[in-house]
Amino acid sequence: MHIDALGEISHDPLAKAGALMLVVIAGLAIFAPLLSGYSPHDYTGNIFSPPDRDHPLGTDSMGQDIWARLLYGARTSLLVAGAVALISSSLSVLVGASAALVGGLYERLCMRIIDALISLPTIIVMILVAAYLRPSLPLLILLISLFSWPGGARIIRSQVLSLKQRMHINASRTFGAGKGHIISKHIIPDLSPIICALMMQDARRAVFMEAGLAFLGVSDPTVISWGKMMNQALAFTYLDVWQWWLVPIGLALSATLIGISFLSFSLETALDPRLRREESTEESISVARLA
Amino acid sequence: MNTNNKFGPRDRPTVRASDGLASEAHPGVGMASKLAGLFPSSLVNYMIALAAIFSLNFILPRLMPGDPLQAIYGQEALVVMSDEMEAQLIRQLSLDKSWWDQLLAYVLGVLQGDLGFSYYYREQVSQVILGALPWTLLLTGLALVLATAIGLILGIESGYARGSSLDRGLVAGLMFLGGFPDFFIGILLLLIFAVSLQVLPISGATSPYAGHEGLAHIVDVLKHLALPLSSMILVQLGGIFLLARNTIVTLLEESFILAARAKGCPERCIKYAHAGRNCLLPLTTATGLRIPQLLTGALFIEIVFSYPGVGSLLNTAIDARDYPLIQGILLVITLTVLTANFLVDMLYSRLDPRVRYAH
Repeated sequence: MHIDALGEISHDPLAKAGALMLVVIAGLAIFAPLLSGYSPHDYTGNIFSPPDRDHPLGTDSMGQDIWARLLYGARTSLLVAGAVALISSSLSVLVGASAALVGGLYERLCMRIIDALISLPTIIVMILVAAYLRPSLPLLILLISLFSWPGGARIIRSQVLSLKQRMHINASRTFGAGKGHIISKHIIPDLSPIICALMMQDARRAVFMEAGLAFLGVSDPTVISWGKMMNQALAFTYLDVWQWWLVPIGLALSATLIGISFLSFSLETALDPRLRREESTEESISVARLA
Repeated sequence: MNTNNKFGPRDRPTVRASDGLASEAHPGVGMASKLAGLFPSSLVNYMIALAAIFSLNFILPRLMPGDPLQAIYGQEALVVMSDEMEAQLIRQLSLDKSWWDQLLAYVLGVLQGDLGFSYYYREQVSQVILGALPWTLLLTGLALVLATAIGLILGIESGYARGSSLDRGLVAGLMFLGGFPDFFIGILLLLIFAVSLQVLPISGATSPYAGHEGLAHIVDVLKHLALPLSSMILVQLGGIFLLARNTIVTLLEESFILAARAKGCPERCIKYAHAGRNCLLPLTTATGLRIPQLLTGALFIEIVFSYPGVGSLLNTAIDARDYPLIQGILLVITLTVLTANFLVDMLYSRLDPRVRYAH
């Protein structure tokens, strides 16, 4: 099943909207130094100044330029998203695929661990670990990845299990293909759509987790994080500052999350062979009804 | 036809994506044989999960470099502790003995309900958490029931009128809403209704020093509950709605719907008694899977509205680095989640006769 994913989703308005949001956020993150004259760590001296030409979003309670902090916060979010997506999906594939291919006691052991991990309230476990370790950004990325992979591993395992039974894999085996060949030439390419969708989900969860943990007060103090900024701003709702402090940051965070979700919905629909099959059976049903 | 295809398959991944295992946990031969025993096999998973939390709580502070007592209670706590208190704690936690005795002391302590001492609140951790837990359970319980009811009704109506403007509007709107992080929806509601319009209270669970009695007290509690509750419902609604809608869409193709129509059932009866009732099964599975997310979501919402539940407690505990309290909250939340999951499993076997009579 080799599908031209980009071609398919480029016609989808949902994917276009999602991609546009992500491109804007990524642009803000990449060109942050050009878009703001201030460093996010600068203290300008006047606190709570309303938006003006110098400070597009005013200044916060410490007199720091909010626009600059919003730009650099995007960097943190996207960095965490990308890194967690890579690490977590690799773990999912590693555990899920090996469980399905090896089988036996190893598979049962893996699935037990996955089931147990899935039933835990992950955020709170992460909070506890983070509270002890007082994590830096790389450690936080590792921590989020370590708790994000089980769901994906389950999906990968069930996919590999069904792939193993497919005709073309059997055919390849009949022609004398070795395990390595089947894995690298058949299973991995067939999995790539699922892996793509998994990475999107991991990225989305990572952005949410990073912001959420920072919102709760668990973050690297030197890192600029949207969640942390929102928590700080929430203390000043009795002033008018929330209009240019709390709301824009919340919207930026939401746009990132919604952008990823839209793109991943669209990608999943375009790529997932299972959905295509359902679609075709649906069509055949309606065709049968017409006849 | 075109619109049908556009909406039908697209949002299926949403459901599968957010629930991950909903499709696997769906009733089938595997599940049925699993449930053949007295208890669902998931009980073993819950035990493993609980053991994982126990060991995490036990190992983490002891892995930290330096004095274990300092690691368990935090630097800030030791400053306010007297020498006798320290000696007593060392004796109580068996810190001067082998790690095996320490584990034994820890497990026995937890089993007796001793979660340690919160130096910030100067009270037993179990007491502090018990004071906050009812508010959290009230909030999450109501949110769960209301979100499920509203999501189910909207989903049935929308799936029944698939492709109509109502359907498309609801799908697009709720999908968009589902993209927002929970605490930002809470913040938006707070800004609109409590800060700008000032129609509802901004924080807390009751008006302080108002001394309301009887009905006035209930109204006061409900008023404070309104905003956090609506934010939680809004966050949960999308997933429940999409699941109910997609289930209805596939159910409407089934022959029992055709049979009901043929014998002249009124539309409302087909919608709710035939199609709607069959929605309950996947919905129950999804609810079980959503419980951890629901509880952690409640923690964020509570912090936004300073609602005096476990979430606000956790926030205070993190700020004060009150480690025993954080550990206690972790343990209590995990226990709540696992118990709820277990209840859902039991409910599931009650709801689906195929599971009950499998053997």
